[in-house]
Amino acid sequence: MEIRTEHTSLSYGAARILKDISVETRSGEFVGIIGPNGSGKSTLLKCIYRVLKPDGGCIWLGDQELHEMKVRTSARKVAVVAQHNYYNFEFSVREVVMMGRAPHKKMLEKDGAKDFQIVEDALRTVRMYEFADRSFSTLSGGEQQRVILARALAQQTPCLILDEPTNHLDITHQLQLMELVRGLKVTVLSAIHDLNIAAMYCDRLYILKDGEIVGSGTPEELLTPETIRRVYQVEAETVRDKNGRLHILFTEGAGES
Amino acid sequence: MEVNFQIYHYWCSECAMKGVSVKKENVNGKKWFRQTSLYLLVAAVLLILLIASVLISITFGNADISVKEVYQVVFYELFHVKGLEEYGTGAVHDVVWLIRFPRAVLAVAVGMGLAVCGAVMQAVVKNSLADPYVLGISSGATLGATLAIMLGIGTMFGSNSVGIMAFFGALAASFLVLFISNIGGRPGAAKLILAGMAVSAVCSAFSSFVLYIANDKGASQSVTYWSMGSLAGAKWENVAVILPVILIGCLLFWTQYRNLNLMLYGDETAITLGTDLQNVRMCYMLLVSVIVGFAVYAAGMIGFVGLIIPHAVRLIFGTDHRRLIPLCALCGAIFLIWCDVLCRVILENSEMPIGILVSLVGAPCFIYLMVRKSHGFGGAE
Repeated sequence: MEIRTEHTSLSYGAARILKDISVETRSGEFVGIIGPNGSGKSTLLKCIYRVLKPDGGCIWLGDQELHEMKVRTSARKVAVVAQHNYYNFEFSVREVVMMGRAPHKKMLEKDGAKDFQIVEDALRTVRMYEFADRSFSTLSGGEQQRVILARALAQQTPCLILDEPTNHLDITHQLQLMELVRGLKVTVLSAIHDLNIAAMYCDRLYILKDGEIVGSGTPEELLTPETIRRVYQVEAETVRDKNGRLHILFTEGAGES
Repeated sequence: MEVNFQIYHYWCSECAMKGVSVKKENVNGKKWFRQTSLYLLVAAVLLILLIASVLISITFGNADISVKEVYQVVFYELFHVKGLEEYGTGAVHDVVWLIRFPRAVLAVAVGMGLAVCGAVMQAVVKNSLADPYVLGISSGATLGATLAIMLGIGTMFGSNSVGIMAFFGALAASFLVLFISNIGGRPGAAKLILAGMAVSAVCSAFSSFVLYIANDKGASQSVTYWSMGSLAGAKWENVAVILPVILIGCLLFWTQYRNLNLMLYGDETAITLGTDLQNVRMCYMLLVSVIVGFAVYAAGMIGFVGLIIPHAVRLIFGTDHRRLIPLCALCGAIFLIWCDVLCRVILENSEMPIGILVSLVGAPCFIYLMVRKSHGFGGAE
């Protein structure tokens, strides 16, 4: 299923956070959104997962317009792994993942054997099965993020939205999580902080700066020293490793000018 | 449109090859099974304990009635057994059947209602310090009661005008809070708490004003007494309405366990999981207002039950509302029955307000649980 935004815009008072954004994620594609802090990446994603309501434009999930859908319906199509997942109350890992089944449940419907199976499968997929009965709050940041991914998997949606999912993870878990997501063969739209991670995993990238799309294309086309300088004001070199993969080296920080 | 679990199969085969994780899985499954059966066992034991508590509690009291006489009266009333007709009338019958028994049943209803509403409010405002009175209900009720006692407003409601005015005060205050928090955008949890505090402050100010202006010592005393709560006003005709209302309310909340769990994850996560909590939250608060309103009507203000019972249950059985709600209902009911018994026997020839006792007994128990478990917000392990 594809995700498409057409001329989406959003303002807080006079501040225009998103200006006329059109992005498209085709079925099965892994699309990344990169850009500096405050460029509107999270805001755009929040519009797509319905926490914020855009002032203008349309957002499409497949051939249906988002705001004509029930929240329950869209939650069966798009699952979200957001940045911060801090809970004041304690749930076990299994309970957290079981909440991913909520959009598939009628009001009085109980969790069935099938749901437990799906939850266990999702936990195994993220390699957290041994933690099923641990309390969520006792886990490390990386473990929590994997549990949240398991919850998204338990939702069994054709699309996945990730908002800087590797933020608190060490390099092992960053790569593991991204490998995992890419292996799922679902449509993925992800805000990504780390340009090297974006280069490794994304089919296509959009660059967002000051609420505008300032570039789009494959990582090869987009991640050039010129573009990086223009967007991030840092000097960079691109090199290829022995597998022919693209890597970005930062040679000089942001100047005073 | 199903997620491709290719990778999962890969992990599985990997696990199978190692053979180690498979063993752990069994342990996991067993642990989960053990927890579930433990929960069912505890629930069953608590239910039996609740029935036993009602039956035992009616043998306590100031009037000197033997245990045998008490149960003869109860048997006669419940089953109309032949040969016990002498217990169908007279002083002993009246004390046991018209005073003690409805009182125990009222304790069940009020304890159950307050404990469940406390758990619900803690989820609704996403704050573990919330209690059923957090929406300004307590000060609204106090204002209603003060108006009734001091100025005689609401005398057209008859003998229990204080209770009825308190009920209306509670409802009015919580509706006002809901209305205020809906002005200007979505009412979040923080906004609700603040609106509740503001309305509370206004209602308390009015109550104090009325008390100050009227300057009637006797009446002030009865306001104070009322605000400490008592189950002494239990009558069958009241209990017959209150128990079903509260029972149905609690059952309704039990069916909402999934939404209550979702509330703790926050509005944003809830939306991505397919539920917009906005309307749901309003409905829950209306239902809480009605249940607590009835509790206030029958028993005045009994603080603390709604705060500590949900916490205590959470400390032992975790946060999942599917278990939390029924266990809270049972524990709250049992707790209040025994507090009421203590109130009746602790002072000779007089009664202690139950609010005082609840705090006296509840707080140390709660502190013990808190210290023993080392952290305060629940979790099974």
